[in-house]
Amino acid sequence: MTEKIEIAIAVLVLIGIIVSSGTMYYMTTVVGDLSTLRSDVSTLTESVTNLTSTVSDLASIMAEGFGEYAEALAALTARLAAIEAGLAEKETLIVGTTDSVEKTLDPAQAYDYFGWCILQQIGGTLVSVEAGSPTGADFLPDLAVNWSSNEDLDIWDFNLREGVKFSDGTEFNATHVKYSFDRAIALIPSIPEGAPAGLGYDAIINRTEVLDTYKVRFHLKMSFSPFLGILASRSSTIVNPQYAPIAQINHTTGDPRASTPAAFAGPYVLSKWNRVAGRDVEIKLDVNPNYWDLASGYPKMEHVIFRFYSDAATLRLAIEAGDVDMAYRHTSPTDVLDLEDDPNVKVWWGTGAQIQYFCFQQKRAPFNDIRVRVAVTAALNRTAVSETVFLGLSDPLYSIIPPSMLGHTEAFQKLGDANYTLTTSLLAAAGYDVNNKLEFDLWYESSGHYPQSADQALLYKEALEASGVITVTLKSADWASYKQNRDDEIMDAYIYGWYPDYVDPDNYAFLYWASWIHTNYYNETINGLPNPSYPAYLQQVALYDEARATTNTTLREELYAQIDEIAVEQCSAVPLWVGSGWVVTTPPIYGVFLDITQDMRYWLIYK
Amino acid sequence: MTKTKVKRSILARLIPGLTSLTKRGPSGWMVILGIIIVTAMVVVTVIGPWIAPHDPAKTNAHLIRKPPSFQFPMGTTHLGQDMLSRILCGGSIMLQVSALSVLVCFLIGVPLGLFSSYVGGIFDKVSSLVIDAIYAFPGLVIAIAISAMLGRGVVNMALSIAVVYIPSYFRVVRSQVLSIKELTYVEAARGIGAKWYTILFRYVFPNVIPSIVVVATINFADAILTAAGLTFIGLGVTIDIPDWGRDLTSGWQYLSSGAWWIITFPGLMVILLALGFTLIGEGLSELLNPKLQR
Amino acid sequence: MGLRSYIITRILLTIPTLLLLLSMVFLIMRVLPGDPVALHFEKKATPEQMESMRRALGLDKPLWTQYIEYLWGLVDIGYFWEHGYPNLGKSMQTFEEVGGQIFSAFPATLELAIYSMIIATIIGILLGVVSSKSYNSIPDHLIRGFGTVSYAVPIFFLGIVFQLIFGVYLRWLPTGLRINPAVDPPATITGLYTIDSLLQGNLFKFFESLKALLLPSLTLGIILSGMFVRMTRTNMLETLRLDFVTAAKARGLKESTVTYAYALRNAFLPILTIMGLQFAILLAGAILTERTFSWPGLGTYIVDRINFRDYTAIQGAVVMFGLFVTLVSLVVDILYAYLDPRIRL
Repeated sequence: MTEKIEIAIAVLVLIGIIVSSGTMYYMTTVVGDLSTLRSDVSTLTESVTNLTSTVSDLASIMAEGFGEYAEALAALTARLAAIEAGLAEKETLIVGTTDSVEKTLDPAQAYDYFGWCILQQIGGTLVSVEAGSPTGADFLPDLAVNWSSNEDLDIWDFNLREGVKFSDGTEFNATHVKYSFDRAIALIPSIPEGAPAGLGYDAIINRTEVLDTYKVRFHLKMSFSPFLGILASRSSTIVNPQYAPIAQINHTTGDPRASTPAAFAGPYVLSKWNRVAGRDVEIKLDVNPNYWDLASGYPKMEHVIFRFYSDAATLRLAIEAGDVDMAYRHTSPTDVLDLEDDPNVKVWWGTGAQIQYFCFQQKRAPFNDIRVRVAVTAALNRTAVSETVFLGLSDPLYSIIPPSMLGHTEAFQKLGDANYTLTTSLLAAAGYDVNNKLEFDLWYESSGHYPQSADQALLYKEALEASGVITVTLKSADWASYKQNRDDEIMDAYIYGWYPDYVDPDNYAFLYWASWIHTNYYNETINGLPNPSYPAYLQQVALYDEARATTNTTLREELYAQIDEIAVEQCSAVPLWVGSGWVVTTPPIYGVFLDITQDMRYWLIYK
Repeated sequence: MTKTKVKRSILARLIPGLTSLTKRGPSGWMVILGIIIVTAMVVVTVIGPWIAPHDPAKTNAHLIRKPPSFQFPMGTTHLGQDMLSRILCGGSIMLQVSALSVLVCFLIGVPLGLFSSYVGGIFDKVSSLVIDAIYAFPGLVIAIAISAMLGRGVVNMALSIAVVYIPSYFRVVRSQVLSIKELTYVEAARGIGAKWYTILFRYVFPNVIPSIVVVATINFADAILTAAGLTFIGLGVTIDIPDWGRDLTSGWQYLSSGAWWIITFPGLMVILLALGFTLIGEGLSELLNPKLQR
Repeated sequence: MGLRSYIITRILLTIPTLLLLLSMVFLIMRVLPGDPVALHFEKKATPEQMESMRRALGLDKPLWTQYIEYLWGLVDIGYFWEHGYPNLGKSMQTFEEVGGQIFSAFPATLELAIYSMIIATIIGILLGVVSSKSYNSIPDHLIRGFGTVSYAVPIFFLGIVFQLIFGVYLRWLPTGLRINPAVDPPATITGLYTIDSLLQGNLFKFFESLKALLLPSLTLGIILSGMFVRMTRTNMLETLRLDFVTAAKARGLKESTVTYAYALRNAFLPILTIMGLQFAILLAGAILTERTFSWPGLGTYIVDRINFRDYTAIQGAVVMFGLFVTLVSLVVDILYAYLDPRIRL
């Protein structure tokens, strides 16, 4: 008899589960259908105070029965959802992302993509890059209206815009510019907490001089043509001294100054910033009422809300379900290609600026021998990687400077892809053949710092071993260990990546010999002795310095092309591929620009 | 003893042992089923590389994420590799890692437990304390730390897993020994003046073996799952080695585009393998549990 | 030994255990390759910058001093009073208070753990009882099969299967995060979304959090329940054979009373121990579950911080974990001693 009771209980429980899951499903379908609420929203904005009565309505409705309860709850939850959003749909842009601000929003420290992204929306710089600029060198006046430099390119004058206010109403003038840059430099050598932004202003700027209320002069330590590019970057955001102490970094949570909207002069103010356990949970931007360009209609959207997802797959599901208006960084190549076929979303494609390159450790065998380096470079197959790993969404790169940028060439095409004849002949000259294969370790980063580095490594290994004379052992390390290994110089060959600080070939070309990559390029050993005056390196540096000392684009192109040519001969760091960018939106969204700066200018976007 | 004699004596015990298992009811069948599963998996892993139709690591840009078909019965991965070949060749890492970790656990945990509980006193208290501290440590963190310190590879994975499981062996052995050492015949042995190591290894240890075997099989299953978990976090072997754990991990991202096969087949294999060991362990523990005798 | 002295002894014993735990974490962190200072600088840093960073992180002091300061911070009552969490130092990556970060991450893991435990116990005990009552029949075999197989499934695999079915194909439930990002989370009172939303009377948020909780706790719960099923079954089988059960039946008591009031109560003790053990396994499994469901809890926090070699954060998180596990086993041990008169060590 007790068996029957147990069975009865089990059946009841089962019924209960089915009914409650049915209710929940019903609720999800109703709640998810926000479009039917558009008509309710206008009445809602007036009757916000009726919330309490609505709640008591709910209580009495609930008493009337289960079926009506479900309906009323669904209606109330739908209304509450709209109230929770609290904003008319037309005025808010909801952006989904997997990024997170790394440390602070202090221009003197922020060096991560998302920190810069937010800084750009809330802060102003002297100049900015025109949206959609193909080379990244089309500068527009922002907080400065015009500028000039001397012939030597080491003194730059800027006439500042008048009538600009910080978001707290403080009038902007030249002293603030001087203060911002003095502060950025002052914080470089010794920082109480945190590392400085990596732009190295102390190496470039000698001093900043206030000539007049709205006129400022920069004295540079050398001739530097990409100076405008630096001024357009986030580290050059002008700060309000009241909120940015000269000797201290603005922290993230817990420090009111960091999220104080009054520190900057950009199109938006940061109205909400919540972090949990070191990751962003909520960021909300509202229109800056004191923005100098309001008259032109910017920013177009009154509010921007960022929603944070933890990985590409979840973000993809969110944009598919319409939970966000826009998904930017990151959806995987597979997902975005699937989404291209989805009629409910729109995929925008753009130029990329992230590159990856192959590094050789040149202080010991086998890569202290140029022939071996060139041989291995020739055996690489960039096309295979682009097709297989990135499904065509990255492009093979034959110069350290990405396409569409001034100075890009196809220099490394000279060595070809999977050029095994060249590989075998060079390696034979170096003493390696089928019976005595070249063996080395190829390292890749395994904690996701670079996209799909494991897959890439597998393909590089395949391509190299297909030559028949190379044996590759794959090794991996997470980012922290990888960096340590780089500094300890224990990796024979490794893959590294770069993301521009400012859009100018000046910020790419040096990667061939950058000392912090630890390839020991210019410490090439000859007969076992280090050679600090390595001729190729000296040539390249000379060309580099000359290129940054002139604004003549034709001349600069030639100079960078020569740097590339030498790089092909030396094969110290070999460019592999350049990524592209994409944004997925649920229409109708306009004003999305995905240019080479990789900046998303949210104030230009509208529905 | 010569090799053939050893083999014969093992077989002589094994076969009646196995057949006697069938007579012991459902628990016996559990053990047999488990042994069959495990043996089958080991055999497949060993001969896998020979019978695999394609090279498990070879990529192909034209065959990316193809669903199961006649040519590729289990589909292809996101890099165009044949899943069937990867399944056939991918078990060895898991088996090696778990076997090694069980061995290490056994060699460290059991003697430590025996010695510590038999000797008692301060030594016992201190070792229990240390073991408890290790036990309270979240295992995956230790594993991550050791992997980061020693690098990747089968041995290091096995070591990190072993460290996590030594406390279980220690505790089980210790609780058994504590009750055994009070038994009369052990006292009698002490009375006639037998040395401590004789008592330990000839009297105490054989009684502890059944429970150790049970823990070992459970440990095996756990080690397999932990190895998969470590790979999931990103601490597995390098990508050129076919491994079920790696396919489980990388297949995750492709589910939302519908490529269910990349994850399902390796997942089933891992479950099957872990299941095999769990069956053996559970069956044995039931068989050996005197309280269940009707 | 009386109960009181047993409790006191057990509590006292946890202190050296915890101390050992702390020291182990401290040492392991310092031995790991990868330098938290270097991770702040992408490119070359001048020696002064590295030095000042090292000072800022407190790593320039000798190891011994760092250790003492670390321990001292933990017992800093004033700090605890002021902030509501112990002084675990500052994160070496973001310079936020580690205690604050952990206390914001911990409730997520706690919520997951509680719901998983509830599901596991309910499923486990019910199925175990049913199975033991119908010994050696088809339902018994099926349930035993479930009990064995459920333990052999990798946590993340089950989680992924659920995500696939309920999140991607059916679109009934979210595939991750604690609540749909379109909804503002409830204001923090306890940190547990379900409790907080109920306390504020917000049914909508309650259901949204429940929806997000369902898949991860079901995953963990099912996997844990296997152990409960087997344990309950074995213990019930033993107990049901005992004399007092036969006597009760002979006296004419109803079957259900006998099963639940008599037998289960006696079989419960070992189950309680298992619950304590399972909590430890649960916290370890939380790391994988959190990763699968993008659950922003302590597990995700630890894995993130390890990537940054954030010593203080990892130390803090591990200490939290260890503290929790130790506390739970302490409570279980004391409960056990209280309930079972035979145990008085």
